Amino acid sequence: MIELPVVNPDGAETPGSGKRLWRSTADLRRDPEWVKLAHDEFMPGAAEPPSGTSRRQFLQIMGASMALAGLTACRRPVEKILPYVRQPEEIIPGIPLYYATAMPFRGSVRPLLVESHEGRPTKIEGNPEHPLSRGATGVFEQASLLNLYDPDRSQQVLRNGEPASWGDFVQFARTLAAEAGSKRLAVLCEPSSSPTLAALRRELERRYARVHWVTYRPEGDDNEALGLQQAFGRPVRARYRFSEARVIVSLDADFLGPTDRNFVENTREFAASRRMERPEDEISRLYVIESTYTVTGGMADHRLRLRAGDIPAFAAALAAELGLGELREAGARFAGHPYVVEIARDLRAAGARGVVLAGETQPSAVHALCAVINDLLGSLGRTVILHQLDELATPQHVALAELVQAMQAGAVDALLLLNVNPVYDAPAALGFAEALAQVPEVIHLGLHVDETARRSTWHLPSTHYLEAWGDGRAYDGTLSVIQPLIAPLYEAAHSPLEVLALLATGEEQSGYDLVRNTWRRLLAGRGAFEQAWQRVLHDGFLPDSAYPTVSLRPRRQALTDWPQMSEGGLEVVFRLDPTVLDGSFANNAWAQELPDPITKIVWDNVAILSPKTAEALGVKAEYHKGVYIADVIELSLDGRAVELPVWVLPGHPDDSITVYLGYGREITSTRPERKTPFFDLDDYTDIYGHGAIATGVGVNVAPLRRPDNTWVAYGAQVRKTGRTYKIVTTQDHGSMVGRPLVRMATVEEFRKNPDFAKEAEPPLEGLEPWEQYPTLWEEAHPRKQPAFQDSDYYRNQWAMVIDLNACTGCNACIVACDSENNIPMVGKSEVGRGREMHWLRIDRYFVSDEAHADDPQLVVQPVPCMHCENAPCESVCPVAATVHSPDGLNEMVYNRCIGTRYCSNNCPYKVRRFNWFNWVKTLPIQVQMAQNPDVTMRFRGVMEKCTYCVQRIREAQRQANIEKRPLRDGEVKTACQQACPAEAITFGDLNDPSSAVVKQRQNARRYEMLAALNVKPRTSYLARVTNPNPRLLEKEPVA
Amino acid sequence: MAHATKDLSALARTDEEVLVQGGLTFHDITELVAQHTEKKTPKAWWAAFSVAFLGMLTLVAMLAYQVWNGVGVWGNNIPVGWGWPIVNFVFWVGIGHAGTLISAILFLFRQRWRTSINRAAEAMTIFAVICALIFPTFHVGRVWAIYWTLPIPNQMEMWPQFKSPLLWDVFAVSSYFIVSLVFWYVGLIPDLATLRDRAALMGRRLRAKILGFFALGWCGANRHWRNYEKVYMLLAGLATPLVLSVHSVVSFDFAVSIIPGWHTTIFPPYFVAGAIFSGFAMVVTLMVIARKAYGLENVITIDHLEKMNIIMLVTGTMVGFAYITEFFIAWYSGVPYEQYAFINRATGPYAWAYWIMMSCNLIFPQFFWIKKLRRNIPFMFVASIVVNIGMWFERFVITITSLHRDYLPSSWDYFVPTWVDVLTLIGSFGLFFTLFLLFLRFVPMVAIAEVKGVLPEADPHFYETHGDGHGRPATVQVNRGRSS
Repeated sequence: MIELPVVNPDGAETPGSGKRLWRSTADLRRDPEWVKLAHDEFMPGAAEPPSGTSRRQFLQIMGASMALAGLTACRRPVEKILPYVRQPEEIIPGIPLYYATAMPFRGSVRPLLVESHEGRPTKIEGNPEHPLSRGATGVFEQASLLNLYDPDRSQQVLRNGEPASWGDFVQFARTLAAEAGSKRLAVLCEPSSSPTLAALRRELERRYARVHWVTYRPEGDDNEALGLQQAFGRPVRARYRFSEARVIVSLDADFLGPTDRNFVENTREFAASRRMERPEDEISRLYVIESTYTVTGGMADHRLRLRAGDIPAFAAALAAELGLGELREAGARFAGHPYVVEIARDLRAAGARGVVLAGETQPSAVHALCAVINDLLGSLGRTVILHQLDELATPQHVALAELVQAMQAGAVDALLLLNVNPVYDAPAALGFAEALAQVPEVIHLGLHVDETARRSTWHLPSTHYLEAWGDGRAYDGTLSVIQPLIAPLYEAAHSPLEVLALLATGEEQSGYDLVRNTWRRLLAGRGAFEQAWQRVLHDGFLPDSAYPTVSLRPRRQALTDWPQMSEGGLEVVFRLDPTVLDGSFANNAWAQELPDPITKIVWDNVAILSPKTAEALGVKAEYHKGVYIADVIELSLDGRAVELPVWVLPGHPDDSITVYLGYGREITSTRPERKTPFFDLDDYTDIYGHGAIATGVGVNVAPLRRPDNTWVAYGAQVRKTGRTYKIVTTQDHGSMVGRPLVRMATVEEFRKNPDFAKEAEPPLEGLEPWEQYPTLWEEAHPRKQPAFQDSDYYRNQWAMVIDLNACTGCNACIVACDSENNIPMVGKSEVGRGREMHWLRIDRYFVSDEAHADDPQLVVQPVPCMHCENAPCESVCPVAATVHSPDGLNEMVYNRCIGTRYCSNNCPYKVRRFNWFNWVKTLPIQVQMAQNPDVTMRFRGVMEKCTYCVQRIREAQRQANIEKRPLRDGEVKTACQQACPAEAITFGDLNDPSSAVVKQRQNARRYEMLAALNVKPRTSYLARVTNPNPRLLEKEPVA
Repeated sequence: MAHATKDLSALARTDEEVLVQGGLTFHDITELVAQHTEKKTPKAWWAAFSVAFLGMLTLVAMLAYQVWNGVGVWGNNIPVGWGWPIVNFVFWVGIGHAGTLISAILFLFRQRWRTSINRAAEAMTIFAVICALIFPTFHVGRVWAIYWTLPIPNQMEMWPQFKSPLLWDVFAVSSYFIVSLVFWYVGLIPDLATLRDRAALMGRRLRAKILGFFALGWCGANRHWRNYEKVYMLLAGLATPLVLSVHSVVSFDFAVSIIPGWHTTIFPPYFVAGAIFSGFAMVVTLMVIARKAYGLENVITIDHLEKMNIIMLVTGTMVGFAYITEFFIAWYSGVPYEQYAFINRATGPYAWAYWIMMSCNLIFPQFFWIKKLRRNIPFMFVASIVVNIGMWFERFVITITSLHRDYLPSSWDYFVPTWVDVLTLIGSFGLFFTLFLLFLRFVPMVAIAEVKGVLPEADPHFYETHGDGHGRPATVQVNRGRSS
């Protein structure tokens, strides 16, 4: 260090500085008077060095103030993250990758394309290349992402409930496999279309003394497969080309419902048959005869509510009317019924363009009858495509009963339960749970430590389908590889294939090898294996691998064994829940908070009754201060009872009760309960804070079911318990109170007056029409407007059109939006306080006149943000936190928002959502991984709403900029649009005259909701046009 | 002797109304008012103060609880984005109207009867506005960013959005508060000087010092009085438009929106009338108690109270007229949404609130047509409380019933307040009474100088006719009985 010379300020004398210099003799003498005089010569302070604060002190003070200044910026602790040291090939941070895979769903797979951010799957989309999906998905594909990140997933192998290691199980499996020749193994698993699983089954059967293989679905027998097999004499699967159909008759078939196995294709096909560009376009006519209100019933032109048990008689009457004389007697009750007569007349006229299909609740005979009728009409091979399957369909309840018998008889040495939960969902009368105790070794593989896991000797954590290799066939048979997107989150988790292989051979084999081995065989003859394999992985499916289509004629003698169904008393219809399915989505917050498409109930299941039945039973569900207070009934069948709150649904058949499966789960959670001090509400706001979210939600109705596992049971007893229960819905009011919100006309009315939708706006008497009010954009194409024209963004003007003729209200868009936009889930009590956060909601209204209040028509209307050009929310925000973008988006600036909620008050559509609490603060780490990194997490106290998926718009614009080209039409797809299987949502650029959205806006049916407010919404609707049968309308004037 | 004086004071103003009864002299007035700030704190005051202070602590606790957890602790939801906090805000701002109206507008209109009540009414105004300001501040989702509503220059060049009525509110209420405070303080200066001088005479030096600081060196010089009168007049002129503007602007929060039930041009005058109505009711409630508790019956006379009751009758009828006009306009407009909003008010799930409002605000004040009831202290006390309940419900009806059912029936919902809502409202009363009790204890509650100004002795011609020029009536002996 360099030593700097320091000048001694106190005196001139520095020792050794040589001769002493003096100014006067007094100076020389150091006369004190002189010294003082000399000192005071200049201004005070000018001659002395600064002594109050030394340099050292100054630095000390500065240092301290710097340190203290730092305190004022105190925030959360710094958590460092590291970038990749070696960046994996293909991964660019922030740029998502997409992988094709497939999701097993009720025996087939649904083809998917999954978005992955830095190795973390964040969004599920349909595989656009796949013939069945074409990019669309249903509720369950979307929601399945959250199953992956379910914080209550089982993470550890359990041996008799005690923690064990995977190694322990391998040890056990080896001993079992070594003695395979003397062991009787039973396997209970979901129906699967996986070729690898089939190969492993053969392997097991080869090695073990006996393999009792039973496939099991909680909902019951696959009546459709059984019925078609009955009709054609061999296993057959039917697909329906509704787009070609003119008359569609559904006999309790909820083919548009999200639980349907071919939901995506059915919806797309049906929506195609309802598209109307011009008034002269022909659309299909849908008759629905059903036992509860479903989304299919909501789309019906004529809907007849009938008890599920009466529908076979109706079907018989229809068949008789169509000339199948042998059923005249069976259908006598409905002979001459206006619906029978008119449907038959319509079907005859439609010929091959008529389709009749039966629902899962109907016995196999009705399915067989539908095949016969379709054959009669000539639609087999035209509007009904038949695929030949390789495996015979067997009634599941018989196989299950045999298994239980074998278990009770001690004829099973080891029982393997693969992703099934029979203790929870098998009929209680079957005694499955009790029989389980007779089996020495019960191995349960599942995602949760659930009802069955707790009664098993071994519990193995299962992988989610996004974590493990697998394969399967789509509904049409097209083969897909299930490609994992992420390594298993938990080390102990293994896939069913791996467990089966281990039990078969005693060797651990990776799912990858197992699947590839199978596919070596499947890809034989398709060129080099590696190349073909890569191709399949890339495309997500093997082209031209669908089940062969066959041309068959049904056997009329199939109809001789006609069931005598309609028994007296109350019937109970068991159905798969449209949001939690069979309970496998029960621990999924997106599914639980997804409103039921018809009742709009969240977080509960109910006993659905018609108003008349409710009156007869003296029960009600009353609206009270924002929630419904429902009477709790005790519903009993054969002496077994469950207690359920009631729900009164207009349009439900009398003397019938519909209940949904999938509730009342009991999942063991390992997470500690959140307990906070009295002043902190985090334990209240955190839906994950009280154990598994499925636990305690709703009531399990499986104990009521009969051992034959049929969908319908008769002779139910109902007793009022006198207690009430709070039911929460996202929509409390079902009437449009005469307001022109969903605008409707019949085809005839539309042809007579193509402008009906626009004319429905209430006129303002004495004023100019609302269209003439001044607005931001004077013309349809705002290209010429000077405003913002200098902005790069200006060249696109975004708009959306929603076709109410296509939308079925299936809910897929809502879950897609939840997933894409990180929508917080808030739990039942907060929804009850009107604080649900869905950016996109589907409004459901009942329409009827006074006389037909029990038979209303149901209409649905998806409501996202309208992105008004004259947005009323923008002008009232005191801090300009919601503003208009140059490309016509109504933007919400979360950083700027202080949360006055004035914008929401002033929004006539009430699409804005407020963060009443910090919903994201308590998200478990796993659920955090499900969040889309392209979308900001919202803090408490700020407003949020639909953004038209602005992140997707900007991404596409960036890409177009990089490639120096204008944005192509259809390049930006909003999450809701992409998911929609009905293709009801069109989104695009108004500045591009050739864009699809501009074309849709030229449709005569187009209207804007609440247009008279002059808010100029960018979201338009295409009015709903129904196609009722005029003759039936005369006889029964209900639409 | 006292008897005679009383009669004389009456004699002095046969042509004018008697504003101060009991024949009080200048000194009596000073004594009467000043003693309450000087004597030992009464037990009753402590009792009242403890209750009020407990209420204030409740308010603090509730606000802390809300800031810690989020706005969700209240009952607000979508569609009812504004719940009780905004109801309370409008309610308290309304209460805060009477004070400045009494001091400023009545001053300009030379309504001399205002002198005995203006000080307390102004204090009430200031405290009510403080209570009011708490609500919009804490009602936002992120209270720590509330200052973004102020036009503070910043490096982002981000200004508030001047189109928003909420921003107008910020300006209107804060300027009203500042002007009211200054006006009140300026009026206080001569009285503070009186107290200071008395404290000095009593030998309470610290007290004299503190009061002396606030009295700004007032010594009652002619020049002081001249400047004072001018300032007071100017401030009154400044405050007058504010009295009208502040509640008009508050009403814009509703009127500028497009929600049926809010979107109406009648709101500004209707809100101002309602504010005066509730403000006077609050003054009556407070004065009826204070005059009794502090023995001020002669200063705040029954005539004063009657005048205020008349104002309540007039403004109450005005708001009632506005309620009915709203219905007429809804029908006349032909807009079905508007019509539904008003039918829903009167018959929907919140009909009970509507009918409470109607009976309290329109029907109940009609009793004041009867002179006997106008001058009946227990009755007017009850009536004033009823009116304020009614006015709280008026804001409830406007805010909540309009929001809970607007355009799309699918989003209709119901608002249920939580315990936090209830305790916050109670707590705001705690704050109000805490401040008011402190005011009663430490500040002369009646404007001593101004009341002296309306005494007969203050008349410049009084001494020539009746006095000896030294503030003493000359004809003390005369006893002619009270003229009427």
